[in-house]
Amino acid sequence: MPDTRSGAGPALSVTLAELDGLPAHADGAEVWRALGRADLIAHAYRGGDVAAGVDPAGLERLLAAVDARFSIAATLSMSVQLATGLPVLATGSAPIAVEALDHAVSGEATVALAATDVTAGTDLTALRTEVRIGDDCLEVHGEKNWIANTTTAEHFIVLARHRDGRHFTHFTWVLVPAGAPGVTVRPADSPLFAASGVGHADFDAVRLGRDHILGRVGMGLPAFARHIGTERLAGALWGVALCRRVLDDTRRRLATRPHGESTIWELDSVRQRFATAVVRVRQLQALCRLLEDHVADRHDAVAAATLKAAAAETVDHVLGTCAQLWGAAGFAAGGIQEVRAQAALFGIGGGASELVLATVADGAESVLAALEPAGIRP
Amino acid sequence: MDPRFIDVLRPLVKTANPEATAITADTDLRKVGIDSMQAIELLFSIEDTFGISLPDEDLNDSTFATAGSLWRAVQAQLQQHDAGASGKATA
Repeated sequence: MPDTRSGAGPALSVTLAELDGLPAHADGAEVWRALGRADLIAHAYRGGDVAAGVDPAGLERLLAAVDARFSIAATLSMSVQLATGLPVLATGSAPIAVEALDHAVSGEATVALAATDVTAGTDLTALRTEVRIGDDCLEVHGEKNWIANTTTAEHFIVLARHRDGRHFTHFTWVLVPAGAPGVTVRPADSPLFAASGVGHADFDAVRLGRDHILGRVGMGLPAFARHIGTERLAGALWGVALCRRVLDDTRRRLATRPHGESTIWELDSVRQRFATAVVRVRQLQALCRLLEDHVADRHDAVAAATLKAAAAETVDHVLGTCAQLWGAAGFAAGGIQEVRAQAALFGIGGGASELVLATVADGAESVLAALEPAGIRP
Repeated sequence: MDPRFIDVLRPLVKTANPEATAITADTDLRKVGIDSMQAIELLFSIEDTFGISLPDEDLNDSTFATAGSLWRAVQAQLQQHDAGASGKATA
């Protein structure tokens, strides 16, 4: 069924030529620059305005276009910036934040959303990175680990605590220039995700003006809760694109691989396994269509968690199936087994499956009530 | 406490029987299951329902300790909001 939603249309396909000029091994920062040069980054947002929120159709098209051409690591680099990094940056109104956002939207610079701390990502309120807020300046101390775009970013968008304790009002976003004295970055030792610029960042008494606070003091976690939902939606939309692409590659291979008098594609056992994977990806796409506006418009955390959990399961199932069908050839460099290892990210990054399922459980009562046929509810 | 405030609060209560759980000024929000995520939802619901923003100085654990402490912060903003509106009307 064709996509009839509003959003980026023919203009997007024309300007995608900018991406075709890059090699398939281009890293996330190179892809981001190309997207900016072609004015494509704004396509992910309603009316081209980051502060207006994501446009699911435009976001989906960008994710599919980048996924079709580049590595999972490069797509991750873009996805995090589009879905979470830029929207959080847009909560800042000071000139320095506006300028950083302009640089990012034009592709001149990447930004790194630095939420995950040295503590467990599933225990966000335990994070240790601290911002000491004075009358006219800030000082940032701490360390952020496994952050996409760390090695290329012009700015870090840092989630830090301004008060001890775990209460949700104790956290604030701070815009930290990567070149500020006291900032040190190290690439993570990860061949699978090097192209995402993933790394670790240390903040050692980084002194900044108060205008580097993004949004309101104390609203760091509420802002994060709203925007991480968009990242979970982006992950599900990307999951559909990735599964579709891998299934298409796999089907073409099976259809040309001789087996007996015919091809592997003609084996019933293969067709049934393949069809099951097709059903799974269609289910994920249907779930995206059902819930995308709940996330984009209403910041529905349960809907976002549902999408994230479903994407992780679907990607794991579909890529596992395809990897089996590729046989030994799947172990080639850059082959399906490598893609599968990278795609394990879907169950970990942006909220591990266990964490998002806990959110779904919290909302189970309202989800079940919404499943009742109309006219039955009292 | 305003009935609308109770209506905003009740869906977030995670006791065995939320509808039967009495919500009074002394109700400890954590003890009725309002953890960080639910408290964030509560904050946004309050802002949407009443058309107010809690000031920075009210964004702390004391404000969110009990239904009564949270209602007092909301009520203070509503009064300021109303005073501002009537001030504009009489200007």
